[in-house]
Amino acid sequence: MITVKHLEKSFNGHVVLNDISIIFETGKTNLIIGRSGSGKTVLLKSIVGLHEIDSGEIWFEDILFNKLDFKEKKKIRQEMGMLFQGSALFDSLTVEQNVRFPLDMFTDQTLEEKNERVNFCLQRVNITNANNLFPSELSGGMKKRVAIARAISLKPKYLFCDEPNSGLDPPNAILIDALIKEITEEYLITTIVNTHDMNSVIEIGTNIVFINEGKICWEGNKNEILHSDNEVLNDFIFANALAKQLKMHVRK
Amino acid sequence: MIKFLTQFGRYFLLLKKVFSRPEKPYVYYKQTMHELLYLGFYSVGITAIISFFMGAVITLQTAYNTENPIYPTYLIGLGCRDSIILEFSSTITALILAGKVGSSIASEIGTMRVTEQIDALEMMGVNSASYLILPKIIATLLFFPILTLLSICIGILGGWAAGTSAGVITSANFIYGIQYAFIPYYIVYSLTKMLVFAFIITSVSSFQGYYVDGGSLEVGRASTKAVVFSSVMILLFNVVLTQLLLS
Repeated sequence: MITVKHLEKSFNGHVVLNDISIIFETGKTNLIIGRSGSGKTVLLKSIVGLHEIDSGEIWFEDILFNKLDFKEKKKIRQEMGMLFQGSALFDSLTVEQNVRFPLDMFTDQTLEEKNERVNFCLQRVNITNANNLFPSELSGGMKKRVAIARAISLKPKYLFCDEPNSGLDPPNAILIDALIKEITEEYLITTIVNTHDMNSVIEIGTNIVFINEGKICWEGNKNEILHSDNEVLNDFIFANALAKQLKMHVRK
Repeated sequence: MIKFLTQFGRYFLLLKKVFSRPEKPYVYYKQTMHELLYLGFYSVGITAIISFFMGAVITLQTAYNTENPIYPTYLIGLGCRDSIILEFSSTITALILAGKVGSSIASEIGTMRVTEQIDALEMMGVNSASYLILPKIIATLLFFPILTLLSICIGILGGWAAGTSAGVITSANFIYGIQYAFIPYYIVYSLTKMLVFAFIITSVSSFQGYYVDGGSLEVGRASTKAVVFSSVMILLFNVVLTQLLLS
């Protein structure tokens, strides 16, 4: 479980996150949704320690993460996996080397053991016969799946996904969502997904937090979100014509 | 002034991160071998071409500017040797490498920054500065002096080829000239300069790439800055080192 208490973050005097308090539960896909520029990515990067926060507390179970020094944070970070918006695969390494990288850096396993784990992770995300390809030779969906394989290679307790569906066509986006949900439930991971894709919300949103202008505006689950009276939330989720028709249908 | 001092401070803080204890020495060793190939070995061609023509031009210019019966012709060989060893093979080669290697380092690390690959390393708990920069520094410190020695040999060869083929000096006189009053310390001086220049090129370029903020435009700007700042620092340290080592 990850607990965020009164988190505040600003850049050059501009407040991006204002008094954010959330609990992200274990074994569930916790979604952070909001418009572009609402502070979702800053929140995610603040939780994982890529941004120094101005004030507040970030707890990983009973460990106050934001007060740890570099070495102590490093230990916790080995229990984290992260899927970045642009996949962030290392260009100079092949698919196999990318997935093996965390194992090379943080385990004393033999090459055979590492390769076994790499192949298991790649099979888990349905990547076959691509071990020797470079990221530039992969499609967007494949890159995301390899990035998930890399994120789970060290058997993480926490998985962070920043816009996992951005740039993907709907079938691929659904595939990635399903994969994230399956992995979360299978390995009892605390997963936080940052998205503004309503398909993801409906597909995998166990716990949902809506952020607007750096503040938490609404909290609930995928069943409650369609019936909410929160105007700002409704403006966000029913922004397009199709969604508006869906809303009318739901209300009827 | 404050901006300059801030950048200066950030540069040294980055170096502190770079020279911290490596997580997995074996991974760093593999990375260093990779950099030796890309930053060092792949620079042999450009170094050889530049050195050959540099040696040729030095010989011809020395010959045409010392056309006087009181000067023995072997002085052309001597002039060519000393110019190449003392200045051209270290400083000019370093300036060329600042362009080739410096821009490559800055754009590689800068692209990794804007595509979140450095964030991915940090997320995993890897010291990204050390993992990305230390192998590059070690590789250039090891290989650039070799490039200097290669440049000296090829430069002198170029001088001999141009001098003899243009008929300004005989082969025997040129060879006598390059052996005459040879001071071995000049080689030490040249290699010492190149070690310092190698560190400047790699660390300054890595610094420019590591702190890129933005997109492809900023990566391009960082690459340009890397070449400009490295070149200026090379010229500045050339003066300082010459005063320190030859005075």
